[in-house]
Amino acid sequence: MASRAEAGSPTETPLPPRRGGFGRFNLEIRQHISPLRQTLVLLGGLAVGLIATAIVLMAAGVTLRGIYEEFILSIFSSPMSVSAVLVQMAPLLVVGLSAVVAFRVRFWNIGIEGQMIFGSIFATFVAIHNIGPEWLRLPLMLVAAALGGMLWILVPALLKLRLGINEIISTLLLNYVAFNFLLYLLYGPWKDPVSAFPHSEQYEPLERLPLLGWQNLTWALPLALLLAVVIWWLLNVSRFGFYARFVDANPKMAAAVGIPIATVTLASALLSGGISGVGGFVVSAGIEGRMTQSFFLGYTFSGILIAFLARNNPLIAILVAAFVGVLFVAGQSLQVFYQIPGAMVQLIQAIIVIAVAASEFFIRHRVHWVRGSG
Amino acid sequence: MDFLVNWISNIPGFAVPFALAALGLILTEKSGVLSLGAEGFMLMGAMAGVGAVIVTGEPLLALIVAALAAAVVSLIFAGLVVALRVNQVIAGLAMVFLCQGLTSLIAAQEGWSSVAIVGLATLPIPGLADIPIVGRILFQQDIVVYLMVPIFFAVQWFLTRTERGLKLRAVGENPEAADSAGVNVSLYRTGAIAGGAALVGLAGGYLSVAVAKIWVDGMAGGRGWIAIALVIFARWHPWRALFGAILFGGIEALIPRVAAVGIQVPQYFMLMTPYIATLLVMIWAALYGNTRLDEPGALGRPHVREERR
Repeated sequence: MASRAEAGSPTETPLPPRRGGFGRFNLEIRQHISPLRQTLVLLGGLAVGLIATAIVLMAAGVTLRGIYEEFILSIFSSPMSVSAVLVQMAPLLVVGLSAVVAFRVRFWNIGIEGQMIFGSIFATFVAIHNIGPEWLRLPLMLVAAALGGMLWILVPALLKLRLGINEIISTLLLNYVAFNFLLYLLYGPWKDPVSAFPHSEQYEPLERLPLLGWQNLTWALPLALLLAVVIWWLLNVSRFGFYARFVDANPKMAAAVGIPIATVTLASALLSGGISGVGGFVVSAGIEGRMTQSFFLGYTFSGILIAFLARNNPLIAILVAAFVGVLFVAGQSLQVFYQIPGAMVQLIQAIIVIAVAASEFFIRHRVHWVRGSG
Repeated sequence: MDFLVNWISNIPGFAVPFALAALGLILTEKSGVLSLGAEGFMLMGAMAGVGAVIVTGEPLLALIVAALAAAVVSLIFAGLVVALRVNQVIAGLAMVFLCQGLTSLIAAQEGWSSVAIVGLATLPIPGLADIPIVGRILFQQDIVVYLMVPIFFAVQWFLTRTERGLKLRAVGENPEAADSAGVNVSLYRTGAIAGGAALVGLAGGYLSVAVAKIWVDGMAGGRGWIAIALVIFARWHPWRALFGAILFGGIEALIPRVAAVGIQVPQYFMLMTPYIATLLVMIWAALYGNTRLDEPGALGRPHVREERR
């Protein structure tokens, strides 16, 4: 990465002619680039990121053959591991959609994990206290989770709109508050009465997302896919989506033509928080069957990464979520077979974001070498 | 009384990481670069510091290593936002997660995780340290605490009384004008990023080498983010940032002491207080005084000469 970053650095200070013996990089702003070429540049960035990832993995002691086996061979060789990827993909897609909705109106929601925690807390509350008739329990948990997530983003959203307080910091700080509240519940009133371990009691079968009937896939994935389509409709077809795009593209113009900017921003933020809350529900009721103390770890950045790589497109997010799902599952097996800490997955995601973000430079600019006049 | 002296004498140790990190952020942000990677640079400094103590056994050297490690990693950030004009929010967030992953990976590979180390020793000042109360609060600290005021003075002097500081601020206020005047915008921004990151890394190194005396994954615990909020609260003034850091150090130093005197608050609620206090401080700053006026004019805006209008 570093070498790439440096490749552009001489450009912004065109050297005076006295050093014309070597020549210099010249920068041009591209006026137009074909979608195909744009895609190729981004894929090139992705490829550089993956190569950098391979180098890091090899430095950590994984052979090239090992990388191939863990990331490709073992993932696609058995139905079991394919299903593991699909299971992991569901919550990833949900948090990715949460980030998409927020980023569409330039609301930097970095509090996805906190909202997931509150989503799961609200859902678990419904489960523990057996609220509502049994046939309605699961839908109630889903709605409760969405409300929990919305509640947790409400304060940062209002603070941004009313006082102009930076939502990046406020949403992030609330992650820590939510996490400590979760620990309070799990070590205190909600400690599992059966095992006395710090996680909630196990959900009853009717409080868990039912199995689809293939491997251990649950309804979590269809739910996430449905959500992606709904969000796509909302952002690309509906009037609300039109407003949101307007606010993103030109807030002043949007205000001038009477688009309710504050309402659109608030609604998008609440929707984003609500979706994150559903993400918490998907992990707790769809995968783990209870609320654990680390179920949310790493989802904020994965959500940002998915929205970023998918160019804020809910349908492309499906593909990216599957890709990140592969990373997660491969990361778990690296942990088991190579004792590589789970943080490796985070590192890989960061490398990929950096590589793709850097490649955008070559979409916006044309760089060429100008020989010196001697 | 004993509770009070005990508490106050512990504040400097807790305040130093906030103060150094906020100072580093001010240096970077004065050049117009929004540095959201502070949490990551802090982790990098903390991990490198502990590693250096384990390898060399020299806590003072370790603090320098911590600063250098963070500065080196920040060059990736500089390459992204200065040379490649990547969105500074995305680049900053990516740096945080890059450093989180990198530090826990390196620490695990080297076996530095959860190893207790010999930390930075306190340095009682002969004579002065024996003064009752005041001696314990002010003169039984470690060397970094004594150096805080000189460091703040130096940075303040650099920013306001030197030509380079003036140019750096010009780059942050109006890079186009600075560019026209012949200031190398990229160079100043890169320098401000690396210099600021060194201070943030030092903050992290202090946290692990002098306070915790151990490395644990993610041990910065949001302090980098709190420092970012502190800078807004301080409206980019170093001395106000020092005041804010002491305030937050005071809150943090109070947490372990509340339970000790028998006040029954569940510990997890106590652990929330720094984050809630940060939010309250940001609300206070937004309500009283317009922070926008003190914000560097070009904060977060990349400078591309070719895109000049």
